Amino acid sequence: MFLLQFRNELWKLFGKKRTYIGFVMFLLAQNVIALVFRYTHASRPMQRMLEAGGQVAEHYISALTIATIMLVPSAAFLLPLYVALIGGDLVAKEAEDGTLRMILCRPVSRVRLLMVKFLAGVVFSFLLVAALGVFGLAFSRMHFHWGGLFVWMPEQSIFSLFDPGTGLSRYLAGHLMLVSEAASIMCLAFMFSCFNIKPAAATILALSFVFVSFIMEHIPYFKDYQNWFFTHHLNLWQLVFAETVPWWRILQSLSLLAGFNATFLTIGVAAFQVRDIKS
Amino acid sequence: MINLRSVTKRFGARVAVQDLTLNVKPGEIFGLLGHNGAGKSTAIGMMLGQVWPTSGEVIVCGHDVTRNRRRALERVGAIFETPAFYDYLSGWSNLVILASYTAPTRKQRIKEVIEWVGLTGREHSRVKTYSHGMRARLALAQALLPKPDLLLLDEPNEGLDPEGIHEMRQTILRLHRELGLTILLSSHLLHEVQQLCTRIAVIRSGRKVYEGPVAEARRSTSRWRLVTDNFDIAVARLRAAGLVKSASDRNQIELADGVTSDRVVRFLVESGFNVHEIAREESTLEAFYLSLMRDTESTHDAGADLNSVPTTNISNTR
Repeated sequence: MFLLQFRNELWKLFGKKRTYIGFVMFLLAQNVIALVFRYTHASRPMQRMLEAGGQVAEHYISALTIATIMLVPSAAFLLPLYVALIGGDLVAKEAEDGTLRMILCRPVSRVRLLMVKFLAGVVFSFLLVAALGVFGLAFSRMHFHWGGLFVWMPEQSIFSLFDPGTGLSRYLAGHLMLVSEAASIMCLAFMFSCFNIKPAAATILALSFVFVSFIMEHIPYFKDYQNWFFTHHLNLWQLVFAETVPWWRILQSLSLLAGFNATFLTIGVAAFQVRDIKS
Repeated sequence: MINLRSVTKRFGARVAVQDLTLNVKPGEIFGLLGHNGAGKSTAIGMMLGQVWPTSGEVIVCGHDVTRNRRRALERVGAIFETPAFYDYLSGWSNLVILASYTAPTRKQRIKEVIEWVGLTGREHSRVKTYSHGMRARLALAQALLPKPDLLLLDEPNEGLDPEGIHEMRQTILRLHRELGLTILLSSHLLHEVQQLCTRIAVIRSGRKVYEGPVAEARRSTSRWRLVTDNFDIAVARLRAAGLVKSASDRNQIELADGVTSDRVVRFLVESGFNVHEIAREESTLEAFYLSLMRDTESTHDAGADLNSVPTTNISNTR
């Protein structure tokens, strides 16, 4: 029964056109970024940096490097937007459309219904991140050669050079970790979606929470409290690109994200359980 | 089949349903009447475990909905005033999805139900292409899928044209006749309720003001039809004797309180009138409903609070 309901939830989710907004935008955005890199001098500063370090710049200005560069703004701005949009829709849109009332005249428990929806949201998050990675690599490969990976992320003090094989494995691992960011923001929006509010409000509240956390995390006075901020742990995917991967720090962030998600989910379930569903 | 015991529902300071007690017996078509916002939908919401009662017990199919919602709703189907579907999916897909929240359903069962409601040939079209009538049929199909014993219909005629209303009425009667379903129907189309229901309850401002058989409600008027040799003179004599309160020019009289028809007949015969016919006028449900609303309104106007709205039962209106 659970699997059947889960399959049907996916059917509902992927039957809607708005589910594909994120996929289409990644397709367009990454294509445009790749073209800009190819036909402008946008890669010059990177070239100078590599040459200053005694490296053969041409080897590292590759499809993998460009795809990873594209990943940073996409993960910071576009990904949260699209997962929050879907997470905010999952319950609130059904309540707004009246289909939630149709479902809840059946003997399904509210907790089970939420679990099925949450899992569908996780599947969406995974697929969106996978699309981000595939599109990024595909479009950059259309315009750049296959070569080593150069990563420079000053905020995380990361300056790394990898051969193509290791670069690709880091690129894949980075996306795997990025799923935790996508699923966590989706879960946050899902929690708001369980309250008696409009789907747009759930999305906006989730994004506001993320932005406020991001702003507070970057206020120098709060540096000692970084671990308390949700967004601080969302960046764990970047750590995979360090020369030596700080697994302990990654595990710490993953467990804290699991805690955040469990809290969001518990609040959402509790709010939904006591709520009256009316037309 | 449905038992509401002193159920109250408050939304903040607003009381939507107050101390509502209802008993719907197996096999009957029960009408829930009341103006918009009277509390009908809230009462149905509580029967479906969508709205949690503030106090009281809601028993459906022998199970407490608050404590054992799954068992209570296993054999229940419901239709709402504006049935909502996943418009971007086909009627078939909608049925598959909604049925999965009750139990896995065989394709054959879905086909049967589609045929029963008359949607064959359109089941694979997207719901957004359906007319209002087709959506109503799809709503009925989803309600019938779990092979229900009890059907809750919340304003099922809302938005339907006269043809659709007629079709819905025939369908409800057919469901009752062929499948033996117990049906609770909430509506403010009194003519429909009169034609369909065996018993009714009237709710006003969240409180039940009447519960009883439709036939009794229609007979509960105090007007009688009197056919005699000279109606006007007979009425004048009856008035003088204090046996009638009022009379209309259509051979109708209203008996004074405590006066019975046999006393009137005896008086007229003894006074030398030939009485050809005397019979209680059968009122329409609409007339009964409106008089009930007027009565309870005047109780309100007299400064009574909600608690003093009288619950009419048939024994004291006869």
